Amino acid sequence: MSCSPFDLRDYLFGELAEPDRRQVEAHVHSCAHCNEDLERLRLTHSTLLALRDEEVPQRIGFVSDKVFEPSPLGRAWQSLWGSSPKLGFASAAMLSAALVIFAFFRPAAAVSAPPADPAKIEQQVSARVTAAVERAVDESEARQAAKATALLAAAEQRFEEQRQADRANMENLAQSIVVLQKQVNVSKSLLARANMEEPR
Amino acid sequence: MIFRAVEDADLIRKARQGDVEAYNLLISRWEKRVYNYLLRILGEREDALDLSQDVFLKAYQNLRKLDDPARFAPWLFRIAHNEAFSAFRRRRPEGETLGEGEFPGLDVPAGAGAAFPIELSIAVTTALGKLNPEQREAVILKIYQGFKFEEMAEILACPVSTVKSRVYTALDVLKAQLAPLKSRGVT
Repeated sequence: MSCSPFDLRDYLFGELAEPDRRQVEAHVHSCAHCNEDLERLRLTHSTLLALRDEEVPQRIGFVSDKVFEPSPLGRAWQSLWGSSPKLGFASAAMLSAALVIFAFFRPAAAVSAPPADPAKIEQQVSARVTAAVERAVDESEARQAAKATALLAAAEQRFEEQRQADRANMENLAQSIVVLQKQVNVSKSLLARANMEEPR
Repeated sequence: MIFRAVEDADLIRKARQGDVEAYNLLISRWEKRVYNYLLRILGEREDALDLSQDVFLKAYQNLRKLDDPARFAPWLFRIAHNEAFSAFRRRRPEGETLGEGEFPGLDVPAGAGAAFPIELSIAVTTALGKLNPEQREAVILKIYQGFKFEEMAEILACPVSTVKSRVYTALDVLKAQLAPLKSRGVT
């Protein structure tokens, strides 16, 4: 059983702070039992290291294959999702950007209005109603006037057409009378000639 | 080590952009460590190599999920740890667990005889085989891979106190096995 102030195995593996190491060294200097124990530990350590590393019998290596290599975009994407700190940073950056954009484009806060005067409100409402009624009347009158104008124009057009038709009829009738008169005259002349020839 | 971490981060960045050559360079920096970690856990060179390839393939497929490139090493070994224990589950019948001393026998390293006594390598291998799976992996990560306890906790997905307890308990077992051995003059 070791009587050292600190574990000799901690000393062997360099796990002690410098003041603690000095305490162990001082103790081992004066304690034959701990000195022997530490020597055995050192001996064990050095004996273990006698088993040297072997060389690798065959070199390990990989061949580049473009088919399996990710695209630059793919690498960036995988790099982002494959790394928690990068993903966290990206999230924080997006949140910050959203806050900045909101700060610039947020709607203006509503300004609180002083208490309104009822008489003034009534006057304003009345004025608005009057204006609305006048506007509605004007629009109605305009619509009626447009309708009357259209009706009058249509009546005039119909009257003109009728007048044109009557006039054409009168002209046709006059021409018929003239033709009839000419036929009568021709008949009269033929009759007169016939009467003159009959006594012979 | 800092420069290496900086260069690794640069290679990771390029590999994430689809630069396979940069990833191959990154592999060349880490393949020996990953291979030896898996070899010491699995005890089979062929399995260790196959799993190493799987580890680097999975790492490439998931490289974009690595948030901090400076944490590449524990992240990579976490993948290796998962692969190793998936392999263990495939090897052993369902419901059967590994007991103490039942670990697959670790072969003596091929090059050990040239620089170190073969007896020492056998002694270390045998001592590591006395540990349970968790203790053995903890020792491999701490002694051979040089990870800090915090990094080991990340790799093994358990508290630092648990990791520390495994390493220290294993160290006591190994000390009992190896320290008297060496002091008796095996080397």
